[in-house]
Amino acid sequence: MNQMHKLYVHPLPVRIWHWTNAVSFILMILTGVQIRYIGMVNFMPFKTAIELHNLVGFVLIANFFLWFGFYLFSDKIKVYHPELSPMKHFRDSFRQMMFYGYGIFRGQPNPHHVSVYHKFNPMQSMTYQIIMLLLVPIQFYTGVLLWDVELFETGVNLFGGVRVVDTVHVLLFIFFSAFIFIHPYLASLGHTPTAHFKAMFTGYEEIEDEPAGL
Amino acid sequence: MISACSKAASFTRHLQFIVAFTIACCLPGIVPAHAAAGDLSPDVKNCLECHGQEKFEKPMADGETLSLHIPGRAFAASVHNPIGCAGCHSGIDLKKHPQPSKKKITVRENSIAMAKVCKECHDDKFKQYEGSIHAHLLRDGNDAAPLCSDCHSPHAVRPNTTAAPMTEVSCRQCHAGIYKVYADSVHGQARSKPGGKAAPLCPDCHKAHEVKAAASGDQIKDACLTCHSDALAAHKSWLPNADRHFEAVSCPACHAPAAKRRVNLRLYNSVALERVAERQGVPQFESRARSADSKGLGLDALALQSLLKEFNREGAESKTILRGRLEVTSGPEAHQLTEKDKAIKECDTCHHEGAAAFQTVTISIASPDGRAVHYGAQKEVLSAPTSVESIGGFYAIGATRIKLLDILFVLALMAGIGVPIGHMTLKWVFRKYRQKVEAELKATAAAKPEGLTASAGDASDSNSPKQ
Repeated sequence: MNQMHKLYVHPLPVRIWHWTNAVSFILMILTGVQIRYIGMVNFMPFKTAIELHNLVGFVLIANFFLWFGFYLFSDKIKVYHPELSPMKHFRDSFRQMMFYGYGIFRGQPNPHHVSVYHKFNPMQSMTYQIIMLLLVPIQFYTGVLLWDVELFETGVNLFGGVRVVDTVHVLLFIFFSAFIFIHPYLASLGHTPTAHFKAMFTGYEEIEDEPAGL
Repeated sequence: MISACSKAASFTRHLQFIVAFTIACCLPGIVPAHAAAGDLSPDVKNCLECHGQEKFEKPMADGETLSLHIPGRAFAASVHNPIGCAGCHSGIDLKKHPQPSKKKITVRENSIAMAKVCKECHDDKFKQYEGSIHAHLLRDGNDAAPLCSDCHSPHAVRPNTTAAPMTEVSCRQCHAGIYKVYADSVHGQARSKPGGKAAPLCPDCHKAHEVKAAASGDQIKDACLTCHSDALAAHKSWLPNADRHFEAVSCPACHAPAAKRRVNLRLYNSVALERVAERQGVPQFESRARSADSKGLGLDALALQSLLKEFNREGAESKTILRGRLEVTSGPEAHQLTEKDKAIKECDTCHHEGAAAFQTVTISIASPDGRAVHYGAQKEVLSAPTSVESIGGFYAIGATRIKLLDILFVLALMAGIGVPIGHMTLKWVFRKYRQKVEAELKATAAAKPEGLTASAGDASDSNSPKQ
């Protein structure tokens, strides 16, 4: 076994945000399924599902600003662009993708090595930025529009109507539903299956002296 | 008999009425004895010598007869008593009366002629009537369209302050079916109870003279909210998106729970913010709909797009869109209103796949008289991906969801579960090969001088964790 050392990579605000986000997303998906497929699934009353969906939705929005504020006003924002080189970022993302899709089966080492400002592999970093800065805000926006269609009539009409808003909201729901399965699986590809999960509770990643990590 | 309404005669009648009415109402101290309630003037009594006889009638055109009988007691109690017979029938020369008619007219033509007499004094009401669905029908030559005298027996008009029994409402003469349903409704039941005058009767919601086609706008909903002014606030306390429900669901759709419901996609002018109406004499809707519906099975999603394109052709003055509304399918059903605790309150009545409310879909336009002209559409238009644009403004969660998105959701779930399983399987399949390569790598690393195996990570920051 290689020598391990611990590295503090997940500050408390990030861990609070992450687990609040995780629980809330699962609740949003479950209540969303109940709302959309009432009659086919009946694990809670329709009205309760809507009220819970609305409540958790606003918790998620507040939580988003916790994440956004933390990264905006701390030097940790570097974890998303440690090199400030988009081309290198794309290249490394492709390398990481090749590792997960091919190299990992051939026993090749993980091209990414965790450090304080490199806590995400480039593929992770790019995915999270797309999710957090594009998809999640769109999901919040469409969700708020659907929360009170008449109050936000102008916004709804800009989209082309409530059906269009709902379609966008559901398309993103479909994406997040798939993501909620794939994300924990990728998180289990650390040096042990539970290593990254533990780290997200304690804040400390166990770093092998040899290249490893998600 | 009645003369033609010349301007001079009209002026005279008006003047007579004003004088008579002023004396009757404004100067009670010097009111002539005959003007008191229940009293008839000598002139009226004179007329009633003949017209007081029952079965006093005259033959009219087309073999009809016109009753000339005036019930004296009813006239004495009527609001028209003060103006006497001459107030309306001023063109009659008693010396020549009865004067044989030069040309026989029908009872209907007589009523039309007499309506012009009503206008002399009731001009405001007449103007309201002229914009009504009843006047539209009259202009279209509909013989059943009501005239003044069809609703107001001119010789027995009671004062507004007199509470007439519900059963005497004139609307029931033509709308008997609706009246029957109304009488059994929560409103009718309340009205029929002693002291139930506060409960609405037909004119309270539909207006007496400016009655419009019920489906033409929001006036009926507004009428509901006139009495039930706290309805929106009350709904907001339990109904999510209550404003939206008020906009897209008609009141009876929930408050007449036994009624059959449908989705009515109304052609709507998005600039003028009103329903699109056919132009008088140039109906286009039905022919355009038929042309789009080539198979005659009802408009499908593509036909709906095509129909909308027709209305938004180059040169169209404004953009026509479709505004959907959940409503009941007929007038009588709209009156089956029940107590509020019996109204539909369970969301899943409508918000589930296959809900009865979404099995019937129509497209509609307002005819020139305000009534809706409907054309059937296939119910699948509500869940077709190609309808996203054409009926973008109507959506009921759970009930009108797009099927394609459901398929995508299943595929996404399969991918979400399948990718990890597939990845794990491949890892297991290649485990021996991988272990071999990893062992070789370790051996190679062990053979290298110490220091070269250190992590290639970012040494610059890995040793300086910041919390």
